[in-house]
Amino acid sequence: MTKPDKKYSRETLLNIYTVMKQIRLFEETAFRFFQENKLRGSVHLCIGQEAISASVTELLDDDDYITSTHRGHGHGIAKSRDLKSAFAELMGKQTGFCHGRGGSMHICDLDKGNLGANAIVGGGLPIAVGGALAQKMRNTDRVTVPFFSDGASNQGTFHESMNLASVWKLPVIFVCENNGFGISVPISQSTSVKDIAVRASAYDMPGYVVDGNDVFSILNAFEKALSRARAGEGPSLIEAKTYRWKGHWTGDPEVYRTREEVAAWMEKCPIKRFREYLLSNKIAKEEELDAIDEQAAADVAEAAQFALDSPEPDPAHVMDGMYVEGAYPI
Amino acid sequence: MSIKTYAVAIRDVLAQEMRRDQNVFLMGEDIAEQGGIFGCTRDLLQEFGDKRVRNTPISENTFVGAGVGAASVGMRPVVELMYMDFLYLAMDQILNQAAKMRYMFGGKVKVPLVVRGQQGIGRGNAGQHSQSVESLLMHIPGLKVVCPSTPADAAGLLRTAIRDDNPVVFIEHKALYATKGEVPDDPEFSVPFGKSNVVREGKDVTIVGNYLYLGKALEAADLLEKEGISAEVIDPRTLVPLDTDTIVESVRKTGRLVTVHEAHRTMGFGTEIAAQVTEKAFKYLDAPPARVGAKMCTLPFNLGLENAVVPQVADIVEAAKSVLYRM
Amino acid sequence: MAERIIMPKQGLQMTEGTILEWLVPEGGAVTEGQPLFKMETDKLTITIDAPVSGTLLKIVKEEGETVPITETIAIVGAPGEDVSALLADAAPEAPDPGAPPPQPVPEKAQQVSATGAPGQRKFITPRARMRAEELRVGYESIAGSAPDGTIIERDILQAAAAAPRATPLAKKTADISGVPLEGVVGTGARGKVVRQDVLHAAARKPAPAAGERDLQPMRGMRKIIADRMKASLDVTAQASHRISVRMDKVREAREALDKSVGYNDLIAFATVRALMDYPQMNAELTDEGIWRKNFVNLGIAVALEDGLIVPVVHGAESMTLHMLSEQAAALARKAREGQLLPEEYAGGTFTLSNLGMFGLDEFEAIINPPEAGILAVGRIADMPVAVDGRVEIHPVMKLTLSYDHRLVDGAPAAQFLARVKEYLENPYKLL
Repeated sequence: MTKPDKKYSRETLLNIYTVMKQIRLFEETAFRFFQENKLRGSVHLCIGQEAISASVTELLDDDDYITSTHRGHGHGIAKSRDLKSAFAELMGKQTGFCHGRGGSMHICDLDKGNLGANAIVGGGLPIAVGGALAQKMRNTDRVTVPFFSDGASNQGTFHESMNLASVWKLPVIFVCENNGFGISVPISQSTSVKDIAVRASAYDMPGYVVDGNDVFSILNAFEKALSRARAGEGPSLIEAKTYRWKGHWTGDPEVYRTREEVAAWMEKCPIKRFREYLLSNKIAKEEELDAIDEQAAADVAEAAQFALDSPEPDPAHVMDGMYVEGAYPI
Repeated sequence: MSIKTYAVAIRDVLAQEMRRDQNVFLMGEDIAEQGGIFGCTRDLLQEFGDKRVRNTPISENTFVGAGVGAASVGMRPVVELMYMDFLYLAMDQILNQAAKMRYMFGGKVKVPLVVRGQQGIGRGNAGQHSQSVESLLMHIPGLKVVCPSTPADAAGLLRTAIRDDNPVVFIEHKALYATKGEVPDDPEFSVPFGKSNVVREGKDVTIVGNYLYLGKALEAADLLEKEGISAEVIDPRTLVPLDTDTIVESVRKTGRLVTVHEAHRTMGFGTEIAAQVTEKAFKYLDAPPARVGAKMCTLPFNLGLENAVVPQVADIVEAAKSVLYRM
Repeated sequence: MAERIIMPKQGLQMTEGTILEWLVPEGGAVTEGQPLFKMETDKLTITIDAPVSGTLLKIVKEEGETVPITETIAIVGAPGEDVSALLADAAPEAPDPGAPPPQPVPEKAQQVSATGAPGQRKFITPRARMRAEELRVGYESIAGSAPDGTIIERDILQAAAAAPRATPLAKKTADISGVPLEGVVGTGARGKVVRQDVLHAAARKPAPAAGERDLQPMRGMRKIIADRMKASLDVTAQASHRISVRMDKVREAREALDKSVGYNDLIAFATVRALMDYPQMNAELTDEGIWRKNFVNLGIAVALEDGLIVPVVHGAESMTLHMLSEQAAALARKAREGQLLPEEYAGGTFTLSNLGMFGLDEFEAIINPPEAGILAVGRIADMPVAVDGRVEIHPVMKLTLSYDHRLVDGAPAAQFLARVKEYLENPYKLL
């Protein structure tokens, strides 16, 4: 584990631990539900990548924005801290964040600053730039954090958004979750640089490579980027190197990697590492963390049950939400 | 003749055409080792190597554009879009470059580009992974728009597309990939563009539909037959060029037209067919043409909601009966 | 060289003609300029002379058939000449003998509207219209089976199938001679009934024996009417004018009056005013000369069960509309009850006769001497009217004025009739 640059309260650290645990259990439950045919559509799990969502959002307020991706359950849960609405949306229920209109890939919660998950790779980046532009124009010190993937860093929108945020000195903290693959294609086949963070230099902003499975490695870099953004000095790029334990989606044959490679990364489990840190630094006792684990399991189980028990959206209102004025009969 | 799935029919034609012509090569996301996420390029990497089966970054606008450039200097790229929804990311290269290049350059260049990929419902992919794009593309001069509904048509039309000297958007349907049918083994087997297929003959009402809705139209025809209504079912196969003559001829016989598609009803290709039939066979019509299509609603994630947006077999039956005044 | 004889166009409007009679049998000699056949159109009956000389090798269209202009109806050439090529040319345009037989379009003037309220628009699909034209099925009286009463193809096919298989001329002949078509054996192609079959059937109809005849005595009112009508035609020089009147405004005026007066009252009132404007029409031929009267005694014909009587509203020129209306109603009631006093049906200066209630579009009446004219009033029916280059549907009534040309000339009679029209189309001028 990296040493933290500053001292964090016990509450902050336990919050991060709790959220990581919730995301892990949420994703495992979703995976099980998918296998039990309780979920439809694509379900992209972020197991193994929980530290990034949990750490970054812990330093943000509700009026700081994020944008998210198709692999966005973790971002949505961490920003909203609302397991029920997230699970209900996964099941397409009326009680979900998007009333069943969005599903797994489109979790969104404007009240908590989540401008939405986007199923177009790189689609959220220009939106994040727009959110930050609004924050700057309103003379706030708020920031916007677009989460995106290594794959998105090859989209034109990534480069265009980096440039615009830099030239306008917008409070954007680009957080690239580099999990090594665009579905099946390894980053070595798709990306011209080893470290995506070096692309920051092309747009005259700081670029950081961090260990995405290490809470303090993430926090140390994010604190610097956050200070710079809140001070109005402009954007930064953080590349968090991590790994997804599951396939691209549930049902991925995973022809592009070996079991050994996956097992090696599982040894670097971000939750396990953070738990050991908390124990060895006597921030929390074993039984306290066990209690958190149990509560997280109960919360996730309750959220799943809530989703199961929730009503289906009424097909009679299928057009609701198409227009501000309501549905047009066309 | 072999029994093949729609996906394998496509894969086999790609391989046959790559063997025939060194200029044919493939680009797209996850098409090499993965063989395409729907398996349409499976094992082609092994036979043709990574120079002719190229994984691309997730940069649709750029790799489609690379296809336009390569085609304009004599290559015959076949570019896969993983989902036709991503076509919108590459729209500049497709409609401003590929479609217009030959005309703007005074007829001095050919762009033998095939952009292929799948669209549609069937997997709970929600708003950004379930759309139907064919009607929108029909509105762009310079493109050909191909919609295969069966394995044989997929094979025959894809060969015609690859050998065509114009940019062709070849739109597959995700829910048809696993469907099986007889496909001729002849490596020269092709289906011409602009030739509608009368899939079922009838005398009371003409139903025009494609993709999943060809099957649903045939189901509807079975149900109608039980009520003494004889439906003729026609698959247009290509929307640009569109063979309205066959449809008009059918309507001259039946006097009634129902169009059906998964695409949105408003300005869907059925609207164009209804308009053309009205223009060309007005006095033969015994009822206004009926159009069946998806509501003007984003495709929802939830299955019940999705079914509420796209037409059902009962909607086709109802439309057919309404034009027969049998409600 | 054999030549085709075609259905010749006679006049600008003609689109088809019916062959009434071939004057030369098939195989007979034809001389150019000599009568070849008789035909009729909707406007005229005419004998057509042969355009060439030769032998009438083939009659393609038989008597009673209605043929579009320019279609081949016969072939004239040298005896024994091969005419198959010419016949083949004619064939595609020949009607399919197996097709359901044509039906004449019902004549509106003789028919009470059978399809609901007047003015109700009739919808027909393009395909049904095409089929109706092909099969010559009149669709005005067909009830459509689609929503809004829209006529669709199957309605036309059903109507065509239900109609007796007969030529138009045969049907017309049957109507006139009162022979039910159902009982006539057809000798035309595939058993189609032609005119000759109907005539044969009519001839076979036995005359009833004297004891079975329904005889009405010729006396009383019947006798008086007979004598007067005959006398009128013997003495007067009757001529007639016709005019169409748009009745929208009268309808509105009547609505404005809460329908307290009838159409006939308004027509009577307008007639009285017009008679005051044109006293030539309100005149009587006396030994001294033509007496133009400055008062109007308006006779209003009333049909009775066994005849006709014309009560007279005396001094109508000084009455208000409501007074006229009440007087007319009272007299009509008395007439039907047989209560009229002799002076109440004498002394008329002009007569109004309305048979619109029987669905007549128009008719001609006989002048009631010594009056100078009689105005015959048809029904009010919704008709297409050209307005500013467009066709619109408006309520229209047809007036026929019979006048005695000894007293009044065509022009003033026309002016009088035009004035009646003017009043009815602008009822406020009556105020």
